[in-house]
Amino acid sequence: MAVAVAPPASPSVAPNLAVARAGPRYWLHGYWRMFVWDLMNLRRYLPILASILILQGTGLVLGVGLFFRHIPESAAIYVVSGVPVLSLLTVGLIFEPQIVADQRAEGSYEFVRSLPVPRSMMTMAWYTVSLIPALPAMVIALLVGMARYHFDLDVIPSVVPAVLATSFTGMIMGYALAHGITNPMTTRQVSGMLVFVLFGFSPVMFPATQLPHWLAEVNLWLPFESMATIIRDALVKGMVTGVGRAYLVLGAWALVSGLVTARVVGHRR
Amino acid sequence: MGATLTEQPGRPSTPDLVSRVRQVHGHWLESYAAMLRFDIASQRTSLPGFLIMQILFGVGTAIIYGFYIGQLSREAALFIVSGAPALAVIAIGVVAVPSMVTDRQTAGTWDFIWSLPVPRSASVASTFTVYTGLTFPGIVVTLALASWRFGLHLHPTPMVIPAFLLGSLMATSVGFGTAQVIRNPLVTNVATNVLIFVVFLFSPVMFPIDQFPHWLAEVQRVLPIYPLAQVMRASITNGLVHNVSICYAILAGWTVAAWTATAWVIGRRR
Repeated sequence: MAVAVAPPASPSVAPNLAVARAGPRYWLHGYWRMFVWDLMNLRRYLPILASILILQGTGLVLGVGLFFRHIPESAAIYVVSGVPVLSLLTVGLIFEPQIVADQRAEGSYEFVRSLPVPRSMMTMAWYTVSLIPALPAMVIALLVGMARYHFDLDVIPSVVPAVLATSFTGMIMGYALAHGITNPMTTRQVSGMLVFVLFGFSPVMFPATQLPHWLAEVNLWLPFESMATIIRDALVKGMVTGVGRAYLVLGAWALVSGLVTARVVGHRR
Repeated sequence: MGATLTEQPGRPSTPDLVSRVRQVHGHWLESYAAMLRFDIASQRTSLPGFLIMQILFGVGTAIIYGFYIGQLSREAALFIVSGAPALAVIAIGVVAVPSMVTDRQTAGTWDFIWSLPVPRSASVASTFTVYTGLTFPGIVVTLALASWRFGLHLHPTPMVIPAFLLGSLMATSVGFGTAQVIRNPLVTNVATNVLIFVVFLFSPVMFPIDQFPHWLAEVQRVLPIYPLAQVMRASITNGLVHNVSICYAILAGWTVAAWTATAWVIGRRR
C-alpha cells in the first residue's frame, strides 16, 4: 500500500533536484560551502601561513638590503615595490601545489573531488582563501620597506585591479600545476623551481636592465615581470611603462592556466 | 641438511668476546651494505633530480646575486663563486634530504625500514652516505660553472677533502635529524621553504659577514651555515678566511647534535 502511494510523490522531488544543481544560488551556495571547507581545512595552518608570509615579505625587504654595503635608493624602491608580487603569489602558486600533493598522498584528494560543488566554485573559494594571509603580509612589507629605506609610496586606486589580477593569475597557474601534475615529488620540485625563477630570474625586485638581454626578452612573455609592472605602476609614480601590455600578458596566462585547469579538473574518470 | 646438522655443534660452542664482537661488526657491515643497495635502488629515479637541483641551486644563486647587485667588484665576485659550493651542499641538507624523509613518512616507508632485521644505525649511516656522496659531483660542477660565469680561477688546497666531507655530512645529518624530529610532512615542507629564504637572504655565504648588523653576525657565527661556507671557502681561496679551525669545531658540534637527535627519534619503540 505504501509502495503504491510513493510514485505520485517522486515526480515532484526529481525536478527540484534538477533545479537545485544549477543557477546562481546553487553556485553561490557551493562557493560559500567550499570557502568554509577550505578555511576549516586550513584552520591550523592559516595562522602559520599568515606569519610566514609576513616574515617572507619583511624578510625580503630587509634581507636584499644586506646584499649591498650601501643600497642605492632606486634599488631600494625596486625591492619594496616588487615584494607585493611575491606575497601575493606564495600561497596560490607555491603552497597550493604542495597542499594538493599532500592531499593526494594522504588520499583526501579524491574525496574533495567527489563533493557535489561546481569545480569553478571550488577554485574561486580557494582564491578567496588564498588572499586572506597574503593581503596583510603585503601591506606590512610595504610599510616596513618605507620605514627602512625612508621613502613614501604614491598609492593610486589601480592598486585594486593590479592586486586582484596578480593574485588571480598566480592562483590559477598554481591550480593548473597542482591538479595537472600527479606525482607529489615532481610537484615539490616544480614549485621549488618556480620560487627560484620568480625570485632570481624575473625582474620583479630589480630592473630588467640588470639581466642579460636574452633573459630580459624572455621575461617580456612570462607573467612575473608583468605582475611587477602593474603593481609598481600603482605604487610608484612614473617608474614603469607598458601597463596595458602587462595586463594582456597576465590575461593570456590566466586564460591558458584556466583552460588547463578546466580540462584536468573538469573531466570525469 | 645432514651436513648442517653435523656442523652446528662444531660452531661457536664457547663464543668468546672477540668473535662475538666480530660477528656483530660483520653483521653491521653487511646490513650497511644491504641498506646502501636498498637506498640507491629505491631512490634511483629521484637522486639524479636532486643532483641537478643542487647544481641549479648553487650556480643559480651565484648568478642571481649578480643580478641583484648589478655591478660586481672582483672581490665580490670571488665571494660569490667561493660561496656557491656551500649553497649546493645546503640544498641537499635543506631540500633533498627533508623531502626524501617526508616522502617516506607519508608512504609509511620508515615503518618498513625500521622493521627490517638490520641495525637502525646501519640504515641511517647508509642514507647519510648516499646523500653525502651525492653532494660531491654537485660541488665540482657548481664550482666549475660559477668560476666560468664570473671569469675567476680558484686555488684548491688539499683541505678541500676534509672541508667538503665534513660540510656535506653536517648538512645531510642536520637535514635528516630535523625532518625526523618534526615528523609532520607539511610542517617540514614549510620549514624547508622558510629555510631556503633565510639561507638566501640572511646568511653570509656569498657576501662578507661585516655587511651584517653586529647581532646577526654573532648569531650566524654559531649557526651551521656560515661555518660551512667558511671552511669550504678557506679550502679553495687564499687570504679570505681566518680562524677556520673554530668553524671546523662548530660543524663537528652540529653533526654530533644531529646524530644525537636522530638516535633519540629512531631509537624509540612505538
